[in-house]
Amino acid sequence: MKKLTSVLLALVLVLALGATALADDALTVAFSQIGQESDWRTANTDDVCKAIQDAGWNLVYDDAQQKQENQVKALRNFITQGVDYIVFTAIVTTGWDEVLKEVQEAEIPLVLIDRFPETSFADDSWYTTYFGGDFPEEGARAARWIVNYFKSIGRGDEEINIVRLEGTTGADAQVGRSKGFDEEIAKTPNFKIVASQTGNFTGAEGQAVMESFLKSVSKIDVLWAENDNMALGAIEAIKAAGLQPGKDIIIVGCDAVKLAFEAIVNGEMNCTVECTPLMGNRVVEVIKGLEAGETFDKVVHPVEYVYDFVGGIPYTADGAAVTELASEHIAERLY
Amino acid sequence: MKTKFDFSRIMKSKITWAVIAELMILLVCLIIRPEFFQISYQESTGMLYGSLIDILNRSSEITIIALGMTLVIALAGTDLSVGALVALSGAMALKLMRWDMSEFPTAGDYSITPMFWVILVALGICALFGSFNGLMIARFGMQPIIATLVLMVAGRGVAQIITNGRQMTTNFAAFKFISQGSVLFLPMPIIITVVIFILMSLLTRKTAFGMFVESVGINPNASRVSGLRSSLIIFTAYLITGLLSGVSGLIYASRIGQNDSNNAGINYELDAILAVVIGGTSMSGGKFSLTGTVIGSIIIRTIITFVYYFGVAAEATMVFRALIVVVVIVLQSEPVREFMGKRRTMRKVAMGGELHG
Repeated sequence: MKKLTSVLLALVLVLALGATALADDALTVAFSQIGQESDWRTANTDDVCKAIQDAGWNLVYDDAQQKQENQVKALRNFITQGVDYIVFTAIVTTGWDEVLKEVQEAEIPLVLIDRFPETSFADDSWYTTYFGGDFPEEGARAARWIVNYFKSIGRGDEEINIVRLEGTTGADAQVGRSKGFDEEIAKTPNFKIVASQTGNFTGAEGQAVMESFLKSVSKIDVLWAENDNMALGAIEAIKAAGLQPGKDIIIVGCDAVKLAFEAIVNGEMNCTVECTPLMGNRVVEVIKGLEAGETFDKVVHPVEYVYDFVGGIPYTADGAAVTELASEHIAERLY
Repeated sequence: MKTKFDFSRIMKSKITWAVIAELMILLVCLIIRPEFFQISYQESTGMLYGSLIDILNRSSEITIIALGMTLVIALAGTDLSVGALVALSGAMALKLMRWDMSEFPTAGDYSITPMFWVILVALGICALFGSFNGLMIARFGMQPIIATLVLMVAGRGVAQIITNGRQMTTNFAAFKFISQGSVLFLPMPIIITVVIFILMSLLTRKTAFGMFVESVGINPNASRVSGLRSSLIIFTAYLITGLLSGVSGLIYASRIGQNDSNNAGINYELDAILAVVIGGTSMSGGKFSLTGTVIGSIIIRTIITFVYYFGVAAEATMVFRALIVVVVIVLQSEPVREFMGKRRTMRKVAMGGELHG
């Protein structure tokens, strides 16, 4: 349905563009998304598209089907169509120099969301602002939650064995979360990562890897999964080993999707670090600001929280912010 | 009777080398950590529990597809659409179970469609797509790689359309039983694989179908001239492969209780082809071995389990897998097998034995 609507939408917009060429009153905002890889991505797409349309602007949406060449094509199309703004999520980090230079030469303001492309431009004037998750901080938050939770139940000085399910090797989120977690957990030497393996961000692989961890590692206290899907997959493997997920093994995930909230409420998972896909409001705010001649900070991270089953566990570096109960927020979670 | 133990012939068989490769990997496991072979009885699930069980359990998705792929490859074809059909089957099943879920993913222990229909429709649609492949290839003479490429690309799109591009979730016990249930202390996927293996063996060895497949694979024109309906046989092989991809897709979806149109069955076509080739069936068609395919698939899964169990660094995983596969394939290659077989024979001659019985 979404595919169909977006195709129709694109058609309508192409026609609309012809009309706007004559009477140009509403802004045309183009959005190049990487494809529908997960629930998180779907929520991200829906939110950004809806926000742009609700602002009364014309939306040109392109789904790149997980291919960089499609995204390059889409960006060139946007230039040809003469859109007013481009919202861009880069599928991979490198290889954008040429097409982004074209965007810059066409003088179309570029708003980056979610993923930051690496370029070799002399300065950072090629984009207006970046808005997206702080991946190292997410990893660090998971580590802080684990340490603080074990302190809160009086096991802070014990030897705690952690196993980790990594995301797709080399992906922004994997690199950032792993790095942040490693640095933070190194501060408490009795918390050790005893096994770490990629689960490719998928439930099925997370399950298979966890199944092996349960046999190769003699004592597992904590599972840290770099996204919720892998954590949810691993829960089944833990059950099959005759252990109780959430009790015998503390499970921490990342993203804070609704399914993770449900697992926490059911007592099968313990904590999830938020990485919000809701970026639509910020996109609209930025474009409105740019129209009014404002400038923005180059890198802005969304305000995000950590949700768990006990509440009140500190997770920031200064210890000021504490976790919220997942059970109290499950109803408002939309994705 | 000529049942004399012919060692050089055994050493020349590809299956022997597949088995030896598998045993060598397991031997390395045994040397590094003997606990790898530990199998215990898990009371809470009523199943046997251990890494060897995991290997058999997790290899079933590929094994099931590879059994169909064996026929396709024996017919000098290939089927690239199997991975997409895995995603499609899961999407169809979840859609039928959770049609009511319009808004948010909420797992529930119920299904709005009877389980019988869920399985039948999911498998049916995969068989239908498989027969579409068969029709394109057998009737319209398209190159198998091109004909199945169409569905490889489109299949996932259809799966996305069916589920509105979202992941649906279920905790329906009957559906979960497909992957988490147990019969005879073994996980259900192993049982399903064994049943399919037996059925396929009966089909290919107890009827003339297997012989027809080999005949068409070796020379389709000669087979046609001698009265075989080549096109019907090719059509059937692709239909079976589509159907088996559907079975595999149900197991995959059942394991995670979700459809995952983006990730389900990714690279399964490659793993399935690899399993068939390691199992000794030639890509150029002709003779095939279902047993070899099963062993091939188990080898692939053993390597993956090895990587997980012994903590090979995530970054090195792919290279490590490729390395082992290369060694296995080289071990099976004609020159190496000839050499090993010959050495055996030469030694026999030198010791005063006879060349032929």
